[in-house]
Amino acid sequence: MSEAARQAAPPRFGMVIDLNSCVGCQTCTIACKHENDTPPGVQWRRVIDVELGQFPDVERLFLVTGCQHCAEPPCVPVCPTGATRQRADGLVTMDYDRCIGCGYCAVACPYQARTIAHEQNWYYGTPTAQEEQVAQKNRIGVANKCTFCVDRVDHGLAQGLTPGLDPEATPACANSCIATAIHFGDFADPGSNVSQLAGDGRAFQMHEELGTQPQIKYLYGLPESTPGRDRTADDVDDEALQDPDNPLAGQIQTFWDMRAAMNFTLGGMSTGLVVMAWLAHVAGFLPQEGLLAINLAAGAGMAVGLFFVFLEIARKFRFLYVLLRPQTSWMTRETYAVAIFYPTLLADVLWPSELLHLILAAAAAGFLYCQARILPAAKGIPAWRGPLMPWMLLATGLFEGAGLLAIAAGLFSGLAGAAPLAAGTGGVLAVINALLWHTYCTAAPTGGIGPLARNTLAAITLPLRLLGHGLPLLGFALFLALWPEQPVAAAAAGLLAGLGAVAGGVLWKFTVITKACHQQGFALPKVPRRGSGTRAAPARMGTVA
Amino acid sequence: MTRSKQENKKVPTYCFQCVSGPDLIKVEVEDGVAVRIEPNMNICGQHPGKGTPCVKAYGLVQKTYNPNRVAQPMKRTNPKKGRHEDPGFVPISWDEALDTVADKLREIRAKGAKDNSGYPRLAASFGGGGTPTRFMGSFPALLAAWGPADLGFGAGQGVKCYHSEHLYGELWQRAFTLAVDSPYCDYVINCGNNVDASGGATGVRRGAEARRRGMKRVMVEPHLSVTGAMSAEWVPIKPKTDAAFLFAVIHRIIKERDWRQVCDVRFLEQDTTAPYLVAPNGYYLRQAGTEKPLIWDLADGRAKPFDAAIARPALDGSYSASGLELGADEEAWRHEGVEVRPAFQMLLDHIDAYTPEWAQGECDVPAETMRRIGDEFVAHARVGETIEIEGETLPLRPVAVMLGKSVNNGPGGYHAVWARTLLSVLVGAIEVPGANLGTKVRLNRPANNKHLSAVSSRDGIMDFPFNETSKEGWASQPRIRNGYNTLVPLSSSSPWAPALGPAHLPWLFQKEAPDNWPRPTLPDLWFCYRTNPAISSWNAPEVAERIAEFPFTVSFAYTRDETNHMADIVLPEATDLESLQLSRIGGTGSGEQFWKHQGWMIRQPAVEPVVDAMDMTDIATEICKRAGFLAEYNMAINRGAAGMKLKAKNFDYSLEPDVAHEVEEIWDRVAKAASHDLSNGEEVHGIDWFKENGYMLREFAQREWYLYPYLKERGIRFELPYQERIKRHGVQLANRLHEAGVAWWDGQLKDYDPLPRYESFPDIWTRFVREKGQDPDDFPFWALTARSMQYAWGANVGIPLIYEVAENISGHAGIIINKGAAQRLGIGQGDPVVIQSATGVTRGNAVLRQGIRPDTVLMIGQFDHWATPFAKDLNLPSLNTVTDISLSLTDGTGSSSDIVRVKISRDTELRGAGS
Repeated sequence: MSEAARQAAPPRFGMVIDLNSCVGCQTCTIACKHENDTPPGVQWRRVIDVELGQFPDVERLFLVTGCQHCAEPPCVPVCPTGATRQRADGLVTMDYDRCIGCGYCAVACPYQARTIAHEQNWYYGTPTAQEEQVAQKNRIGVANKCTFCVDRVDHGLAQGLTPGLDPEATPACANSCIATAIHFGDFADPGSNVSQLAGDGRAFQMHEELGTQPQIKYLYGLPESTPGRDRTADDVDDEALQDPDNPLAGQIQTFWDMRAAMNFTLGGMSTGLVVMAWLAHVAGFLPQEGLLAINLAAGAGMAVGLFFVFLEIARKFRFLYVLLRPQTSWMTRETYAVAIFYPTLLADVLWPSELLHLILAAAAAGFLYCQARILPAAKGIPAWRGPLMPWMLLATGLFEGAGLLAIAAGLFSGLAGAAPLAAGTGGVLAVINALLWHTYCTAAPTGGIGPLARNTLAAITLPLRLLGHGLPLLGFALFLALWPEQPVAAAAAGLLAGLGAVAGGVLWKFTVITKACHQQGFALPKVPRRGSGTRAAPARMGTVA
Repeated sequence: MTRSKQENKKVPTYCFQCVSGPDLIKVEVEDGVAVRIEPNMNICGQHPGKGTPCVKAYGLVQKTYNPNRVAQPMKRTNPKKGRHEDPGFVPISWDEALDTVADKLREIRAKGAKDNSGYPRLAASFGGGGTPTRFMGSFPALLAAWGPADLGFGAGQGVKCYHSEHLYGELWQRAFTLAVDSPYCDYVINCGNNVDASGGATGVRRGAEARRRGMKRVMVEPHLSVTGAMSAEWVPIKPKTDAAFLFAVIHRIIKERDWRQVCDVRFLEQDTTAPYLVAPNGYYLRQAGTEKPLIWDLADGRAKPFDAAIARPALDGSYSASGLELGADEEAWRHEGVEVRPAFQMLLDHIDAYTPEWAQGECDVPAETMRRIGDEFVAHARVGETIEIEGETLPLRPVAVMLGKSVNNGPGGYHAVWARTLLSVLVGAIEVPGANLGTKVRLNRPANNKHLSAVSSRDGIMDFPFNETSKEGWASQPRIRNGYNTLVPLSSSSPWAPALGPAHLPWLFQKEAPDNWPRPTLPDLWFCYRTNPAISSWNAPEVAERIAEFPFTVSFAYTRDETNHMADIVLPEATDLESLQLSRIGGTGSGEQFWKHQGWMIRQPAVEPVVDAMDMTDIATEICKRAGFLAEYNMAINRGAAGMKLKAKNFDYSLEPDVAHEVEEIWDRVAKAASHDLSNGEEVHGIDWFKENGYMLREFAQREWYLYPYLKERGIRFELPYQERIKRHGVQLANRLHEAGVAWWDGQLKDYDPLPRYESFPDIWTRFVREKGQDPDDFPFWALTARSMQYAWGANVGIPLIYEVAENISGHAGIIINKGAAQRLGIGQGDPVVIQSATGVTRGNAVLRQGIRPDTVLMIGQFDHWATPFAKDLNLPSLNTVTDISLSLTDGTGSSSDIVRVKISRDTELRGAGS
């Protein structure tokens, strides 16, 4: 790059954090809290106390965490409102007045950088004069994270100062660091402080494999005296990661709770039902009246799910902002699918037509597909983001749809014609779902799903296989064997199979969304070499004359 | 916020909550409210911490606006005192409060300043490390004007300090505390000195810079501390056996290696007492007539006075020589042709038994590890190399040894400190670039220049103001209740000496009067400021009971706490961000405060007091005025009691003695005198200038960091390895005490060993269990404590913001237990546990970690609060509740240590809040 081009190119702000310098003093954390007026419990710059190995071969280190201002920030595309953006200089910013507090960015972040404070709390219970003076009321109920002290940076730049070198233009954490462990600067400039520090090959970026290109680089070694080393299996074993107090182990995310799970279950099964019913209709097994009745019921179910999502978002009066990011956000797109679905449903009820049936089924399929993409885009939750997750959500939605159709066919004679199709597809989908679940669980350890989440998945595997896969497979097979000779018994078998399919879907989705939803946690691919016994840095006899 | 932050007023001031300060800060003020703290980057180029304060400074805003602050003066209405008594505090006016205190002082003065036991009727206790003086304004002038006061009730100040380091450090190298010369040091053996938690912003920064430069630190400690985390190696040693470890390292260097090859022989010969000849009774062989110690000159086979021209001083061997040997109590022997050995030979003989294999059995460190560390130490010492500092060539010895608090206080402290200093001396790594450096003096004088205090004794070593032990000179009457001048010759007699005697013992003596000792009396009035002995002492519950016995206690109080729970008058003083003071800055000081500048800085009101508080200076002035010694008080300030004398040869800013000056006026005079003194009259500034600019500096030569060049100029030797003076004082002190019928100090007299002999120090605490009638086997764990940077000093445990961030560092939530050991006891992460010693019980939650020995548990800080708002609800365990105060646990310097045998079990009792 020519000098002129380099000067014209925007900066790329980032940090270098020296693991051999940080003593975990918490000064950066508290300086950040001062600078950014964050409320109790919210720490944009957090330093965790990490222990590796076992007595007496132990190392302890302090890991500075926070928003990594990724070059490919997973939080930005998922945001349905555009409140989270990335500037040309790399800073990932927050527009608190735009954010609806849906928490999608928070579950998308593999660095646990985001928080949502749902109410204004005070350190002493009641506000002090200082807290009243600095309270940031617009930050309640919206996503918060480190901004790299964007106000300081911008104010400094406006005055011709250099971020990272001039304190007034530098984030408070870097300014305040008593160990000179935190450096801020411009990675786009090869001569900058941070480029120079990170340039000699002794820096790593966390969770690089996720493709986020984080702009915090951790120095792990001192070239002469204390070379770093690769992580070994002894550093952090499964047992250590099963300790919920281990800061490396991801905690259960709390941004999306049962309210989100309700949407994934009710929305998934309802849209699956619409699709399956439409298939039955075009195949001639389901009359139009039956289809409309089913679609109305499905629309009601989906509406309940959406209502729960509405309850989940913190800034409810801003919910329409959710429509502002169709370019990238599957949550926005899901909303558009909803926006098509319900008018179509109304029109279809009023003026039924095959075209409207088709549009409705397509909107439902679109909704289901959006759901199947929403969860995996949450890169911060290993159990959600695996490559199988979209297929699992799609397959389960359809499976539940088939199950519901079988139930409906069993209960209402007018719909009974749809039963064989439901049973046939249901049986196939039972097998597909079983296979997907098996593959998902088998791949979990290598897919980054930690032992705590794996334990949770393992705990439901047997019930899921019996209730959610075995029972439907058996039920649908029985149906096909008994139908049409023994219609009552067949209907009963289909009903049970349908219930099993729905129950299985509910079980795993609730489990994955609200229980096996551990965050990524923190990991060090390279480790500073110090400690005791075999872990101690090498003696330096040789370097001394 | 309608205005940008950049437009807010920024008020320069300082944080000196911990002894490793000061850190300069700016307080951002918005609409008269202090809203934020930030580093003072103006001083970035001069402050060794580059203008950054540590985490604690950021708690000051919440401290100021703490709703739990004492809002106005109060008096006690319940005459009964005790933990379970409601004090019945009622608000009173400042007039009433000050008059009450002044009346009490008048009453005392009328009775006489000392009571029938000869003890001062007035007592005062302050928090640790002298830091309260950076906040108490002109209050020291009140004490100076008053006269006799007992400052020896151990509170923050006096107990739990680096006790042996303070006393022996000042004796050997004018080092009240020691630091590593981090900018040049390459290799540090650190026995439990948690400098990355205790060294302040400056210590942490210099340490990190040194690590980046390549300094290697070997951390020898039972628990992998913050500092251990940042070290290249962790050696998990058995608690309280550090002296064994260090003895073995010395053994490696001088017995297994060829000491002539690896030690700084020139240094030993010329700059230490290693060649001094030791006569048969254990005292130096001296030249008859001059009484100068003799050195054997191998060149001509004769003994010569130490200051004669000696071509080849003998360090080892045995020689036949004649001369005079001066023992204790004027006992003297004339020797003719008697066998004498150089002190270094005495050391070689002494250390012979302390092999690495022997030490392995004591300290649970592999012998080969100690050998390797010894080898690394001498390899890094670069004996013979030099460095140029400010144009002067000085020895470069980039190795150092640091000792932690519990290593160098209490039994074994002398041994560890001696071994540490000896290791430095063996390679000439003392008071030179890269080596261990003293920070400041507290016992020697002048207080603000450690070098000027280094004058030669007649024996060619640094003179030291021992408390006399001779028949004529010994003070049979203790000056104060802890008897420092009677019991501890090394504690000297400076204003700091009371805190450096057995400052924990008054609490014990108050309960059980020792034999043949003045009857322990209670002070008629006790001032208590920025200290909380009811929580911070060993056996804190007992100390609280003793405090409850005091008849009249005046507590300066920021919030209610465990000590002012027993107060009669509670005075809310204007706190850190609300009051005015000028204070010295720069030069060299605790932690790693090594500056290339010195001068003065201001602490000023950033905001008006949030409660009905008074500035400490105004409080002191008002009390003195009302009690009738205003003139004496003003004259004390004029003499320098507020930090700077107001009248000197070249200037006179004296206060008029009979006028009650306002706080601004007093500090304006101090500012003018200080700036005049600093600039030789070229730049005289009043207090308003300091308020605007924050500080005033002049250059301070880096050469001043190092004592060695000064000693060299004056021909003074380091007094190592052999401790002839200690031996003599020990014998004389034993004689005096026995003549007075005092036998209860005999255990402490064992420490007066010219070459300290190791004993198994952990056994002292095991035996203590038996002394308490219990079976040591029932208490299988060592319980220790460690420093928390977030909480240490400054009452920070009551500040929620500090609590929040401290929780990020492991151990703050409870008691640290080795994970394997805990699992064997069926204790899981976070489980409530009960920790029992032979004398106390404390409770907390288990924090399971790998970085601690399986036989050791650790409780950070001292948090067993029961009255302090917020802190009392944290339910944290405290070592102070399970330790005891006892003569059996007290060493010759008059200190004990933070260690106790305990048992741990799951806590099955439901805990009441705050109990």
